Amino acid sequence: MTPPGWSYNPSDWSQRLPLIGLAVVGFGIAGYLTLYQLGVFTTVWDPFFSGGSERILHSCLSRVLPIPDAALGALGYLLDAVSGAVGGRMRWRTMPWVVILFGVAIGPLGLVSVLLVIVQPVLFDAWCTLCLASAFLSVVLIGPAMDEVLASLQHLKREAVRGQSWWIVFWGTAAGAQGEPRYGADGSRFAVRN
Amino acid sequence: MWARIINTLLGVWLMAAPAVLGSTDAIRTNEWIVGPLAVSSAIIAVAEVTRPVRWVNTALGLWLVVAPWVLGADWAAFVNSTVVGLFLIGCSLVRGRLRHRMGGGWAALWSPNTSD
Repeated sequence: MTPPGWSYNPSDWSQRLPLIGLAVVGFGIAGYLTLYQLGVFTTVWDPFFSGGSERILHSCLSRVLPIPDAALGALGYLLDAVSGAVGGRMRWRTMPWVVILFGVAIGPLGLVSVLLVIVQPVLFDAWCTLCLASAFLSVVLIGPAMDEVLASLQHLKREAVRGQSWWIVFWGTAAGAQGEPRYGADGSRFAVRN
Repeated sequence: MWARIINTLLGVWLMAAPAVLGSTDAIRTNEWIVGPLAVSSAIIAVAEVTRPVRWVNTALGLWLVVAPWVLGADWAAFVNSTVVGLFLIGCSLVRGRLRHRMGGGWAALWSPNTSD
């Protein structure tokens, strides 16, 4: 259902499915790059910058962690997809923690992607097409994902003002449902139920 | 929307400009940093809920105008940085249509609750 004062429901499947789909595509790209970094593929597809992708994907930075950094990207996209898919149309209200997790997965990970884009030419004097595509995807996900986060945060604030423990409301509906007011479709409040 | 698209394209151009114009040193690194930031800000600002992120491009545009004076640049890089900076600022000032209501937006998080 629509949050009070909203003209649409940000937790609606029509809002979330495209983001889940993009996250799955991102997982595919990152998975492919991971397989290249692991040596499963000996070449990597780059239609624009010959040699560039190889330089970036085998750079010292890509080997800083025990797992190839593309694998981290793949895990990030997986978290995006799962946290985007869990919960029904009212999850902005019934499970704020999942929505916040979704926001945390998409936001900071997207910004890390931008950082890695900057690093490509500055540190390695090279470009990697699929890395750029993946970063572009990460950034595209950020804007549309934030409306759900806003709705949940507004809900937490409303409940806190009403005297509810925001911590309990944060973790889900069972604890927070006591005495929750009912909202009409236009956002107006009626009959507080105890 | 068009303002966001233009700023995205300007950011992409900034990333490619050093190769096209043969820029070197600090001004080149500057464009490699500002470019992706401009692209990202413009894309994020397409969504209504994050429309205010367009102001990041206002700041980046201002920096681009100032940068050649601070970092030093040849004539081509100087003109490029200045012109791109001005357009980035200009488009960032275009708010675009707001078609949805979002419960008062981010401001509702710290404004005092009125009647409820």
